Amino acid sequence: MLHQLKGRFGAPVAMAIVGLVGIWLVVMVVLPQWQMIAYSFHPNLLPAEIGGPKDHWSLTNYATLFDNRIHLAIFFKTLWSSVLVTGLTLLVSYPIAYYLAKVATPGQAALCLLLLVIPFWINEILRTFSWFILLAFRGPLNELLLALGLIDRPIRFLSGDGGVLVGMVYAYILFMVFPLYNAIESLDGNQIRAARDLGAGSVRTHWRVVIPHAKPGIATGCIMTFMLAAGSYAVPALLGSPGSRWFTQIIYNWFFEGGDWNQGAAYAFLLLVLCIGFMSLVMRLFKVGLADIAR
Amino acid sequence: MDGSVTLDDVMMRFDDFTAIEPTRLTIESGEFFSFLGPSGCGKTTLLNIISGFLTPSEGQVRIGGEPMASVPVNRRPTAMIFQNLALFPLMSVYRNIEFGLEVRNVGRAERRRRADELLDLVALGGSGDKPISALSGGQKQRVAIARALAVEPRVLLLDEPLSALDLKLRQHMRTELKAIQRKTGITFIYITHDQGEALTMSDRVAVMSAGRIQQVADPETLYQRPATAFVAAFVGENNRLPGRVVASDGETTTLDVPGLGRLAGRTGQAQLAVGQSAALFVRPEHLRLDTTGDDTRLEGDVTSVSFEGAWRMLEVCLADGSTRLRVLLGQGAGPAANPVAGHRVELGYAPRDAVVLTDDAPADVDAETGEPLASRTGEGQHAASA
Repeated sequence: MLHQLKGRFGAPVAMAIVGLVGIWLVVMVVLPQWQMIAYSFHPNLLPAEIGGPKDHWSLTNYATLFDNRIHLAIFFKTLWSSVLVTGLTLLVSYPIAYYLAKVATPGQAALCLLLLVIPFWINEILRTFSWFILLAFRGPLNELLLALGLIDRPIRFLSGDGGVLVGMVYAYILFMVFPLYNAIESLDGNQIRAARDLGAGSVRTHWRVVIPHAKPGIATGCIMTFMLAAGSYAVPALLGSPGSRWFTQIIYNWFFEGGDWNQGAAYAFLLLVLCIGFMSLVMRLFKVGLADIAR
Repeated sequence: MDGSVTLDDVMMRFDDFTAIEPTRLTIESGEFFSFLGPSGCGKTTLLNIISGFLTPSEGQVRIGGEPMASVPVNRRPTAMIFQNLALFPLMSVYRNIEFGLEVRNVGRAERRRRADELLDLVALGGSGDKPISALSGGQKQRVAIARALAVEPRVLLLDEPLSALDLKLRQHMRTELKAIQRKTGITFIYITHDQGEALTMSDRVAVMSAGRIQQVADPETLYQRPATAFVAAFVGENNRLPGRVVASDGETTTLDVPGLGRLAGRTGQAQLAVGQSAALFVRPEHLRLDTTGDDTRLEGDVTSVSFEGAWRMLEVCLADGSTRLRVLLGQGAGPAANPVAGHRVELGYAPRDAVVLTDDAPADVDAETGEPLASRTGEGQHAASA
């Protein structure tokens, strides 16, 4: 790598590039992370006590989570809900991606992609807030359902997890659609035709031919969606009810309301471990490697 | 098991482009039938209509007499071998071949038994557990054939399946395909732009051009008695001499060819009228240097000689200064047949070996019904012999 750079730009420029990248990595990525990890293994102390006898390595911050039933429940609920969001997003995105990749004409595909992307030009908070309006007790969706005579009285969409799930599926759909689209797009159309020709109906054609081919794309999409969902703050904060607290909200509280950065860092680190664990699980389940995902 | 395929005035239009002119044709059960034509002539469209991937704009397809209009692709008694084979790369050879059986809910043991049988048929016994990526081009070809045959189709559709193979293998697979067809008795419909493939394997060939079937005949008839100028020029090598008809009867037509005078040939079409433009076609192997009494004679200069092993191919520039003829000389062609470039030679051909056909292949429609002549030949009559 360095050799190639030297060959192309000469030694001074090559060293400068590598040096800058190195500094960026160390200063912007490694050091802050290390700082957070270090925080998480130290007790929360008054400024005067830092460096004193009480300032020692400890696991108490991590133990807190396992001692606090409510926090632990929210931790696992976040895990479960994120899995649910990932599954729902996959369910919604697969038909869209398949349509874009194999059914639509280039014109239709371009229009469809544009329609999918336009809402993402608006800030996530605003988009989420518009869902808050749509799903409100006296909001347009309830009005519409009432007008159509499908319901007798308004539904409280925003109590429970429904609002959060809808909001997240909507917020992360592109992160699922694009990897899926890329994967399905590379499938030879004759494979689908061959399956049909050999007698397979559309369900079997998808199950046996399209989905196995799209596996790396599905894995990529699932990992991205899960990470974003598990680490989401805005959607649960806006669309959540008291019963649907997200683990990120607890972390936020430790940092900015409890003022206990050390405790917050430990929680954040546990969430990171959870995400990495999920990612490796998905990769093993789908039998894909990092190289497949990077494609 | 009736594997006959009938096209009832099938016609295909894409927006304002007519891909297939109205076509009437019957392919007999158990026949090896080829559609031969240059790319873009509509032959693949026709195959897709038969398999059900496309719905014809007009007309209908019948297989074994049953109308197929409301039968979707996955319920038709056809199987297709794709140009790129379209094997499932993530499945083993077994899983590929068993796919169609699995769809039909055939039990595991029975599936395996049938797959093994088919692998033996295509001479790939014992390769069932290999992944597709471990196979050579020829082996993939065989797996594709086995996979298609597994569903016991009444009609096997082959879309230029040999085009990806190298020459030697291609020629070998021709023999093998023909043998498999004989053994199974399934109707084979073969699409190709390679006349060698069409002529060597087929019982009958339909020559297509611009969405229209030009002629349907067995390979020999196609070569010896082409029905249209397109067929004469497309099938085998031919010398074309355009001119105007000066005299024509059922037997012989005489053309006035500018710069070369009057040339006679067999009357190839019924509707040749005095004064119309037509072309005389004479094959390189029918031109000879040791002319005999009844021959039509031509004079010219040899411009090149190429040695091809079993024969030599001469290029001769005729007296008019622009017409070039190709002349094939066999090995036993005698001492006179050893010219070199620059020699002046006298060429001759027997008029019965040449054919005169309407030039530029204008609409070959039946004057009475307005239907393409090809639809009549499809019923077994031969238009050119009229």
